[in-house]
Amino acid sequence: MAARTGGRFDLGRAATADAAAAVLPVRHVAGVRTIDYAPARLNPQPSRSYYFWMMAPAIVVLAAISLYPFFWLVWMSLHNVEVGAGPDTFVGFANFERLFTRDRKFWNGWSLLLQYSAMCLSLQIVLGVLLAVILNGSRYEKILVTVILMPMMMAPVIAGLVWYYLYNSTFGWYHWLLQSAGILGETSIVGSTSTAMLGLVIVDVWQWTPLITLITLAGMKRVPRDQLEANMVDGAGELRNFFAIVLPNLYPFLLIAILLRFMDNFRFIDVALTLTGGGPADATNILPVYLFDVSFQYFKLGRGAAIALTLLLVTILLGMLLVRLFEGPQSRRADMGSEG
Amino acid sequence: MFRVPRDPLYRSISRRRFLELGGGAATALGAGSIAVGLNSVITRRPVYAASSDDAKWKQYAGSKLVFMSENTPPSFAIRDNLKPFYDLTGIEVEILTDDLPVVQQKVGIDLRSGKADFHLNYVQDKPIGAPFADFYADLMRFAGDDTLPQDPEGVADEAWFENFLTACGRMYSGERIIAFPYDCAVACTFYRQDLFEKYSKDFEADHGYRLEFTPDTTWKQLYEFAAFFKKLREAGQDVPYGYAQHHGSFAWTTQLDIQRMLFAHGRWIDFDIDDKLGSKTPGPTNWGDETSVFIMEKFREQAEVCHPDNLANGTLQLNTVYQAGQIAMQVQYHEFAASIEDENTSRAAGGKTAYAACPKGEPSWIKNGGPAVNGCNCGIGGIGINANASEDLQRAAYIFAVWATSRDTQFNVLKGVGGTPTRKSVLDIPEVQAARQRPTSMPNALTFEAVYDIGIRDPNFVLGPKIPEANEYHQIILTEVQKCVSGKQTAEEACLAIKEQVDDLHDL
Repeated sequence: MAARTGGRFDLGRAATADAAAAVLPVRHVAGVRTIDYAPARLNPQPSRSYYFWMMAPAIVVLAAISLYPFFWLVWMSLHNVEVGAGPDTFVGFANFERLFTRDRKFWNGWSLLLQYSAMCLSLQIVLGVLLAVILNGSRYEKILVTVILMPMMMAPVIAGLVWYYLYNSTFGWYHWLLQSAGILGETSIVGSTSTAMLGLVIVDVWQWTPLITLITLAGMKRVPRDQLEANMVDGAGELRNFFAIVLPNLYPFLLIAILLRFMDNFRFIDVALTLTGGGPADATNILPVYLFDVSFQYFKLGRGAAIALTLLLVTILLGMLLVRLFEGPQSRRADMGSEG
Repeated sequence: MFRVPRDPLYRSISRRRFLELGGGAATALGAGSIAVGLNSVITRRPVYAASSDDAKWKQYAGSKLVFMSENTPPSFAIRDNLKPFYDLTGIEVEILTDDLPVVQQKVGIDLRSGKADFHLNYVQDKPIGAPFADFYADLMRFAGDDTLPQDPEGVADEAWFENFLTACGRMYSGERIIAFPYDCAVACTFYRQDLFEKYSKDFEADHGYRLEFTPDTTWKQLYEFAAFFKKLREAGQDVPYGYAQHHGSFAWTTQLDIQRMLFAHGRWIDFDIDDKLGSKTPGPTNWGDETSVFIMEKFREQAEVCHPDNLANGTLQLNTVYQAGQIAMQVQYHEFAASIEDENTSRAAGGKTAYAACPKGEPSWIKNGGPAVNGCNCGIGGIGINANASEDLQRAAYIFAVWATSRDTQFNVLKGVGGTPTRKSVLDIPEVQAARQRPTSMPNALTFEAVYDIGIRDPNFVLGPKIPEANEYHQIILTEVQKCVSGKQTAEEACLAIKEQVDDLHDL
């Protein structure tokens, strides 16, 4: 069936066929040349199979890299897939039952992961935005941005190793510095159950705050000047300007930053493995580290798959929640704009 | 940038053409690497092999093998000096080395997935041998094959140090040998003899006996030594801490650390099984009994007089702490003697360090009625063959295993970077015998009395537990011991938590 309205009508194509298609029903309304409809032979509606074949390559790639492993993960989580040479046996929800009822490390891992994520995100957002405000429009902005981006360019495993040496109580420079300043004693920051998590958070904040700064800086360039100027005319100072104009305009950018970092934290493993290995006394045994241990140290792949599924599910749910949280102020502003 | 002559004889090349050529070359190189570099090659000449003894070594000339090993001295030494093997056999061997936990993951994935990317594996007894025993070829099949070259000393138990072949080669039964002893790390005591001599009189005045290490020195005395050094330090004297334990992130070393102390007191073991063979169904654990709770408490008390960064230091870091002159004693693996005696990197070098057997059990601490022994444990690193590999690859790999564990190879490694021999005959070599006394060019030989004459011999030797879930078991021990040492739970709570989790691990 031919499209009758301009919305779905391929005007470009119709225009090129203009000369040849003398059959086109052309009308002149108030001096404007319009076309009511195009014959089907000039703008045919593709069949459903046409769309399917166009999308097929993408579907195949997506299935290979995403869907197949996902269903395989689900399959493994319902089976006893262990290190032995024997066949994998179906165990129903036994792996999940074990996690939820008997596995202390699983719950400890969740608790630590949430703490870790909350600490990293809040520190990174505060510091990242602060740095962006300082850097925005400064004389040496480009040079300084390049300099502060350097930690991000380092592979996380290397960052973990570097900080491992910096924290070391025998020869670590940072340890020596902090000890000389009276902040630390002879115990290194990762050698105590009460400070080891802080040690990990510092590394993450050091490495990833620049990303927040970069995204925030990009957002600040998009803040409408007229709004800022109007606010200043109304007598607003720098601080009020920031909270009333800049920050609301940064919401979509901060949403992207927070989502990226939150998902990164939920699969964070490199630095923890190199720096603490989850210790001491499980003080840094966040869920991804425990998942790695179960899967690739103990080779309990069925149990590991069950942990991975819970992690995936919670990541998706929290991601949706975050989007909704940030959509709130966004849509409110949009509503206000349309009302105004 | 470059000067171009006006009338060049060569034909200029367009940027597009240059990019095309570059892309083509990169693709070809990548494909070539995948096709050749990562794959094994096997070339077999069975008829030739039967012609002479020399031909037996050369029957797989042109083949290529991959050996995944821990980054231990023998692997470094052999990797750097593979030419004699290539000349002897014509087989090319690629040796990949990494930290033990990484090796464990890589070989585990390779074996479990039915692949043979690594034909030869470093089979460390508990972390790799115990979980993956079913995936290794039975080496006795090749040892009895007269179409393959064999070591003139043979590969039976008598050829190796006491318990070594069983430790890494026999898993759960005596029927199969899955690995030959390739290297070993045996625990012994390293202590600062210079400091012990300096403070001996003061110590004797306080405690009524000399500050010295003998084979009869007990764990109670070690605690008193450590407390003495700590007291001196707190009094403002420039002395190191007395002692430090093995913690850090590699769980196995913590399990070994407390196991030594437990075994010394009545030969306590984790499960009621044959400790040397291990078991796939070990039954309920002995953790939580009177001995374990008592010794856990002593271990916690010991931690109180240790170096303050006790919980951060794994085996390697602990050795660094000792090298830096920050502790006066450590129970350490004898392979580290070479690094301690290196004057370029160690403050404990130059004759300051002496070596003794692991401390003995304190009779008054024994609760199970057993004897007091110098509880000594170890890691025996074997060389095993991936059973997923083809028959010919396995046979070619066997040739390498025979060569790598031969007397001459082990002697060369000992001379070179500080090896840890597993064949008895290496110790009979006059140069090695002479090296057991200072001055020596083979520092590891200074430990041989403590290790080979006392530590690895029964009744001092403890191995286990060899169980399929060894790695998870080690992690449980590490976590609960660290919680106890850091004051988060009592010794009894720690032992009961271990029991609960370990029994659950075995579905009990």
